[in-house]
Parts: sequence; structure tokens; C-alpha cells
Amino acid sequence: MTFERKRIGIVCPYGWDTPGGVQAHIADLATYLISQGHYVSVLAPTSDEENLPDYVVSAGKPISIPYNGAVARILFGPIAFARVRNWIAQGDFDLLHLHEPAIPSIALLACFAAEGPLVGTFHASAKRQKAIFAIGPILEPVIEKLTARIAVSEAARETLTEHLETDAVVVPNGIYARRLALGAMNEQWSGNSIGFIGRFQEPRKGLMVLVDALPAIIKEVPDVRIVVAGPGDSDEFLQGVPSHLRTRFTFLGRISEEEKADFLHSIGVYVAPNTGGESFGIILAEALAAGAAVVASDIPAFQALLGNGKYGELFTSEDSASLAGSISQLLKDGQRRNQLKIDGKIYAQYFDWDEVATRIYDVYEMAMVGLGKVTLSSENRGWNKFLGK
Amino acid sequence: MNFKALVILFLVALFAWYLSFLATRLDRLHHRVETSWANLDGLLQRRAAIAIEIARSEIADPASSLLLTFAAHQAREASVKDRSQAETGLTGALGILLETSETMHGAIEQDLLRELSELNEKIKVAISLHVESVNRTILIRSKWTIRTFRLAGRAPLPVTYEFEADVL
Repeated sequence: MTFERKRIGIVCPYGWDTPGGVQAHIADLATYLISQGHYVSVLAPTSDEENLPDYVVSAGKPISIPYNGAVARILFGPIAFARVRNWIAQGDFDLLHLHEPAIPSIALLACFAAEGPLVGTFHASAKRQKAIFAIGPILEPVIEKLTARIAVSEAARETLTEHLETDAVVVPNGIYARRLALGAMNEQWSGNSIGFIGRFQEPRKGLMVLVDALPAIIKEVPDVRIVVAGPGDSDEFLQGVPSHLRTRFTFLGRISEEEKADFLHSIGVYVAPNTGGESFGIILAEALAAGAAVVASDIPAFQALLGNGKYGELFTSEDSASLAGSISQLLKDGQRRNQLKIDGKIYAQYFDWDEVATRIYDVYEMAMVGLGKVTLSSENRGWNKFLGK
Repeated sequence: MNFKALVILFLVALFAWYLSFLATRLDRLHHRVETSWANLDGLLQRRAAIAIEIARSEIADPASSLLLTFAAHQAREASVKDRSQAETGLTGALGILLETSETMHGAIEQDLLRELSELNEKIKVAISLHVESVNRTILIRSKWTIRTFRLAGRAPLPVTYEFEADVL
């Protein structure tokens, strides 16, 4: 097969400088595509114009808005729209890849403004909301323009079918499974330790469920410790923890990718007590890839990712007694733990970027057939003249 | 009186704009159905060709070779209406063969099998794109505005395919 160098435009709806799953996904995807020899340009809102990778183009400063239970840093408005149109007109793209086009940010604007091969990726999963009946008729004709749709998980796909009555191809999020599998044992973190990575102060990450479960775990496993990695204010968090339990916690702050591999490889069990709002569970996939035994809440995304308990223990979400049971059992059963570690590591290879990016590129190829280049939508042209552009 | 006339004129213009918007939308969908079908058709033809090649190679024993050749020819010659069923038959035949054939072949056979599995991935994506565009078009065409003003023109209603065995 002959290789064709393509010009690919990716639109990121959230502020590039704030860490997040979507941003990380786009950065990895862009890096991969560039390494394959394609030209990639990422349009994203940024608050800091410096220190950006070469491939990122700023669309302006993001606005913080409460959306879907969290604060989203998004961007819209006439100036942003003009920048999006400019970027599309000058980019001469073969394909646009829009992330979260159903969220009121620049990806939606790009979908509205462009015509041609458009691929949309839906990350979020949400419960059916009444508001969708009101915004459905506005979104539908725009979303309809996407040539192909990708959902990152079954949960995200269901959200899409329920809300917008359209189907999608499921391509999971990518992780660097091969690199993570190289983690080394670090005595500091090994033993009867419980690991957690993430913004531990966010209630939906569920670390408080673990705190409530701790007394029961200590009864079974007296020397248990908790090692937490991720950004946040540990002193503030410990204020909410009963004083006799505080010494059991160690906070590492943010850790590098190499440290992450070592960390996940060394800890006794990895716990993901998230109470919801998770669509895929990328950190869980990473934990599996690095060879950690995993205990996770039974929210739909985690159930799907862990093969209904085949690759990790599931406990009843928000139930600390159930969590305590699962953790102490797993910490005491070394054989089961080793089995999980081995199975999980093999299974998680499926999420490796090589695999995932090939599947995404397959979708790109299908979307590009017979459609030519990306242009500005002709149906908008009359409007813009009318508005005196 | 004059004001009233202006308002009516404005509403008529707005409605006309809405109709042209709907027509563009529908036109885009019709176009998409055609391209997605052309794409899928091409991929399916290629798969049938590979299936025949596999039937002639050493991967297949005489019985499965016969089954495969028959299914591939049926898929190629099927009319538009029977196409989906014929392709499903071919998928089934290939599935049986691939399940039973272990890694015991030479380089040429390996290449054939790899090409087939790559093609299968693409076919899955192409099917989901095509089914989506057909469903969408049928949905939009059932709108009363589109039916009343005959915005679909003479474009035929797209045929729904089933492709049972190939669905993602």
C-alpha cells in the first residue's frame, strides 16, 4: 500500500493548559500521527500562548463555566468563531477530527463551519438529561455533518445513541501500555500498600469512600498504607480524615510517567473508588498495563473495562463496607493478586497507542473516501455576507 | 398595512431559508449515502476476491474451498436487495475457515490472512458509517416539511442493509 501524507486538523474543546483526559488523548494522538509522517495542527483554547508544542494553535483564552457537574474550561463567541474559520480556511486539511463536538466549545463551532471529511470523538458519558430535548434540535443538524463518529467506550456510545439518536464506532482511549509494562519494583511503595492516582480532592474520584473503609481494612491487614499521587492540597484533605488514620497516608504530589510505571508496578493494590462521571477509566487501564492488581467501583465504565470482574475486583460503588471487604481479601490472597497482575497486563496491551491509533486511522481513511478536502461550509457563506462579514 | 406586509414577507423569506437549509442538509446526506455505499461496495468486492484466492490456496481443504467459492460468487452476483444476506453468508464461511485454520501456513498464506483481517476491520467501520448515513437519511426524509415540499426530489429512498454478522 502506498503511503499518503495527510493534513489533519484536530480541535480540542477544553483549555490546553489544564490537565485532563481529552487533552492528554489529543496530545498523544497528535504525537503519534506526526511520528507517522502526517501534518497535524491542533486548535485549542490556551491561556498561556508560550510553552505550547509546535502543533498547537491557540484559539484564544478559555472561559471557566460550570458544565455537567464540573468546571469546564471552554471557548466560544464571535471572535473564537472567526479564528476557527480562519484556521480551517488556511489549514487546507484533508480531515478534521473534532473532540466532544456536542459541548458548547470550539469543536462545535468547527463542525458548524466546516464541510468535508469530519470525524467526531465523543468522550463523555452522562445520564439522560431533560435539557437535551431543548438543545437537541440545535445540535442535531450540526452533529449530522460528522462523516464518522467515534465513542471512547460503550458508555459514551450509549450516551450518544440516547441523546442524539446516532451511532458510533467504539475505539478505546490509548495508553502507552508497552512503556508502562517496563516499571521497576520500588521497595518504598511495595508491601501492603493501596495506591491511588488522581485529583484526590474531587468528590467524584471517591477517595473519601476509601477513608471510610480504612478502619475495617486495618482490622484485617494491620500494616496497610495508602499512597496517593496526583495534584491537590494534601493538608486540606487530611483535615477531613480522622486523626488516628492520618499517619497511614503518604502523598507524592504529581509524578512523572516513569515514576508512574514504577509506582503502579510496586503497590499492593490499586484502588479506583470513583463514584461516577467516568466514561472510560484511562488510569485503570494504565494500572492494568503496569501490572497492578485493581479494585474498582462497579460504575458502568469500570465494569466494561474490567470485563465484569475478570481483570480486577469490583465493589458496590460508594459502599465502604464492600470496598473494605474487596481490598482486605485481595491483600491477603497473594495468588489471586498475582493472577490479576498477569492477566491484566496482557489484556491492557489492547489499549496500546499503536493498536488504538491504527484503528482511529482506519476510521479516518473511511471518512476521507470520496469527499475531497475540508472546506468552509457553503451553507454559511450566504449568512456571513448577509451579516456583513 | 405596510407593516403587516413586511412581517409576512419576512416570515415567507425565513421559511424559504429554512427550506433551503433543509434541502442542503438532505442533499449532503444523499451524497454521503452514495459515497459510503461506493466505499463499502469496493471493500466487499475486495473481500470476495481475497476469499476466492484463499479458496484456491492451501489454507482451505476441498470442502471449505467449495463453500467459500460458492459464497464469494454469490456475494459478487447478488442484486442490491440480496446483497446483505449474501455478504453475511460469506462472512460466515470465512469465519468458519479462520477459526479452524491455525498457524501452519507459509508466507503467502499468512499475507492473505493478514490482508483479510485488515480488510475486515475496515469493512466493520464502513458498514457502521453506511448504516448510520442510511438511517439518518430515512429519518430526515420522514419530516413532514420534506415530504410536503418534495425536497428529496427524485432521489430514491436508500436501501437499508442488515449485515448481521458484521455489525460492530
